[in-house]
Amino acid sequence: MKDVIVIGGGAGGLAAAIETHQSGKDVLLIEREEFLGGILNQCIHNGFGLEVFKEEYTGPEYADQFIESFLEEKIDYLLDTTVIGLRKENDVFFVKTSNEKNGIQFFRAKAVVVSTGSYERTRGQISIPGDRPYGVITAGSAQRYLNIDGLLVGKKVFILGSGDIGLIMARRMKLEGAEVLGVAEIMPHSNGLTRNIVQCLNDFDIPLYLSHTVTEIIGDDNHRLSKIKVSKVDELFKPIEGTEKTFEVDTLLLSIGLIPDVTILDDLEVEIDQRTKSVKVNQAYETNIEGLFVCGNALQVHDLVDNVTLESQRAGQAVNRLLDKGKGDLSRSISLSPGHNLGYVTPQRIDLDFKQEFITLSFRSSKKMEKATCKVFQNDELIFEKKLFFVLPAEMETIQLPFDKIKSDGNISVELEVKS
Amino acid sequence: MYDFIIIGAGVIGSSVAKELSRYQAKTLCLEKENDVANVQSLANSAIIHAGHNPEPGSLKATLSILGNKMYDDWEKELNIPLLRTGAFVAAHNKKEEKIIDELLDITKKNEVPEYMILTGDEARKIEPNLAKSITKVLSLPTTKVTYPWEVAFACMENAIINGVEFLKNKKVTAIKKQADFFEIEVNHQEIYQTKYVINAAGVASDDIGGMIETPPFKIKARKGEYFVLDRRVKGFMNHVLYPLPSERGKGVLITPQVHGNILLGPSSEYIDDKYEARTTDEGLAYIKKHSVELADDIPFNMIIRSFAGIRSTSTCDDFYIKESKNHKGFYYLGGIESPGLTAAPAIGPYLVNDVMNVGSEFNLNSKYDPKREPRLEFHRLPWEKQKQLLNDDHLYGRIVCKCEKITEKEIIDAIHGPLGSHSIKGIKKRVRAGAGLCQGGYCEEKIIKIIARELNVSPLDVEYDDLQSKLFKEETKVDE
Repeated sequence: MKDVIVIGGGAGGLAAAIETHQSGKDVLLIEREEFLGGILNQCIHNGFGLEVFKEEYTGPEYADQFIESFLEEKIDYLLDTTVIGLRKENDVFFVKTSNEKNGIQFFRAKAVVVSTGSYERTRGQISIPGDRPYGVITAGSAQRYLNIDGLLVGKKVFILGSGDIGLIMARRMKLEGAEVLGVAEIMPHSNGLTRNIVQCLNDFDIPLYLSHTVTEIIGDDNHRLSKIKVSKVDELFKPIEGTEKTFEVDTLLLSIGLIPDVTILDDLEVEIDQRTKSVKVNQAYETNIEGLFVCGNALQVHDLVDNVTLESQRAGQAVNRLLDKGKGDLSRSISLSPGHNLGYVTPQRIDLDFKQEFITLSFRSSKKMEKATCKVFQNDELIFEKKLFFVLPAEMETIQLPFDKIKSDGNISVELEVKS
Repeated sequence: MYDFIIIGAGVIGSSVAKELSRYQAKTLCLEKENDVANVQSLANSAIIHAGHNPEPGSLKATLSILGNKMYDDWEKELNIPLLRTGAFVAAHNKKEEKIIDELLDITKKNEVPEYMILTGDEARKIEPNLAKSITKVLSLPTTKVTYPWEVAFACMENAIINGVEFLKNKKVTAIKKQADFFEIEVNHQEIYQTKYVINAAGVASDDIGGMIETPPFKIKARKGEYFVLDRRVKGFMNHVLYPLPSERGKGVLITPQVHGNILLGPSSEYIDDKYEARTTDEGLAYIKKHSVELADDIPFNMIIRSFAGIRSTSTCDDFYIKESKNHKGFYYLGGIESPGLTAAPAIGPYLVNDVMNVGSEFNLNSKYDPKREPRLEFHRLPWEKQKQLLNDDHLYGRIVCKCEKITEKEIIDAIHGPLGSHSIKGIKKRVRAGAGLCQGGYCEEKIIKIIARELNVSPLDVEYDDLQSKLFKEETKVDE
């Protein structure tokens, strides 16, 4: 039996595996692709590592830093292996895997770290009306085709959604000689990092249509995308009549959001947070199932891989602590929820017997705010506050909540306020 | 010279092909699309209706009630999947309850077995998510759900094994009647000769008829839009739920699917362009508005796809299954809308025996085999069987579609099978790779590579659906 099985060999999984292995744990990492590094392998642009390394790397370079340490540690790992089942019986996790070499196998472990990343929202989930031609493709898929396989999905491109992948792909497609006609964003603000708006759109004269969305998809006789209709939307996101524009395109890239991929947990009774669309965790990234940890984009969608690394290292430390010291009294816990102007907050629970100096709270604002203050209330009493200045829904914020400010009972609400 | 040419390989054309393969005859089926079941059979509710709706005595009633029973044989012989859901037809008030009584009358006249009337509360004991506003239901336990693509595949594969030729990408462009045979021109170039023509062209059946005469009916196509809920909603509703029928057809239904998904829909709208399967804001809003009349707390957040399907409603009220009045040997299968899928197993024998009397001219095919091997769904098999298969072929160990747990071996089999497909959509129809939560976001790239490898072509030559639908524009990393 392994001490820890880490599912997913991207930034999160590598960090968690290294962290636990360095403290002497017997670790197995399972990766479905043929390479370690996860989604970083297709992110050939730079901008990674400023937080962790104070240096700017490309995605593959950033991944290499961790892959090297991982290999040096001589941690057990399986590539090209899909986890097809996960259950827990009598304090032991059973991880069912499938691969070409060994067929179906079971591995046992005392703890499991799920760092399976996220998947892209598709056309189906937002129900864009119209034909069903090909040429409508998620931005991440197009990125993989281009950067890994060297295949260009289109020559006349429009992008729906201003998520970072969409912005990066706008520049990338342009550099490959495609015509990029614009990016439409249904919100009145961009959903990507500011630096990406500047470097990927402004520098290439690609127009960004805020408060706009694609209202119809039209295919030609060969079922290839030929046209899209784009309209301005009102505050309720309804298209405004008379604002419709038609773009002749062969490709529509969708950059309409990422959703944590925790389908692997379907057979376990985990608590789900409808806001993050992932599981609820405590400050140790442990779910309501003891020994089951979730971190990285599988827990909440991050803008910066650096934050995935830091979060997953903390998760790894928490695994070590559980394995070394055993469980605490998990009955003493309080819940955390987002209050005014917050889209979500993690963790959703604080276990009082899991003491740390600080608890890292991660959240997103629900709107753009200047000079915002993050206030933490327990039983309507302000226990902590921090000035944040400028917050955007597109950028995840983290604050360090001192543990000694937390009282032993009463639920916590985290809010954002603008000083008037 | 062929004995029979069937035009169209939807569920109906395929079932006729299977039926004709019982005879020692030279039969060809022509399909304009790059796959069977690609227009009307592509997108529908997948229900095998019990028979509460069609006019007693009509072909729709007779053939669908017989067809419903015959599906039990097809399940065994052809290995098509069936989910025995049963159905509830729901009424919300006294006025609607009266209509239930009228439907009950039709149900009795159509000799539908096992029907029952339940109060709303009794029905909710069985289906807890049934809308609280429902006061009375007509329960139809013989209602089932199948996988329409698999019905067409199974019939056509069986027909091919029994000697029928099938050609795809063959669009009929002209038909000429000669003295005692027909000349069928395809793609404006090739000519095929045949003694008999069977027009199973679905929404195009009036256009095909129009090539030799004024057709006896016009197709007035209707469009139905749907939402698909992810299969993780399995269990939310186990019965098919019908509202009361209206002039717009059977209305917006809630339909559990064989693989655990749930369909919401269809809307129903007449369309001018017969092939315009476009979803609309209005249509999708209509489904949401009406589906909540049937069930409470529908998990709309689990929608993974919306689509539209086409119905070949004709100017006749009933199915039109007859020989042309002007041209002996030319047969129509027209206006096969709902309950066409239900009636499919009975339509073949009805046409071949009752209408055409094929047996009077052709001997039985002594080598006819009614069986068709099942399509293997590896991750639905028991462990012992999986172990054995893994021993034989390691590619069963390689998961390609993670959402639906589809292995590389299943995909290779779908490429090379008797009715193999080389397109992304064809593979999806056969093995469901790409039909799950991420809608191919993860596996499409892998499937493209497998197809390219198996056919020894470049990924640039891999098709999405029809022959022109190449997925990529160019390769970027090429040596100059």
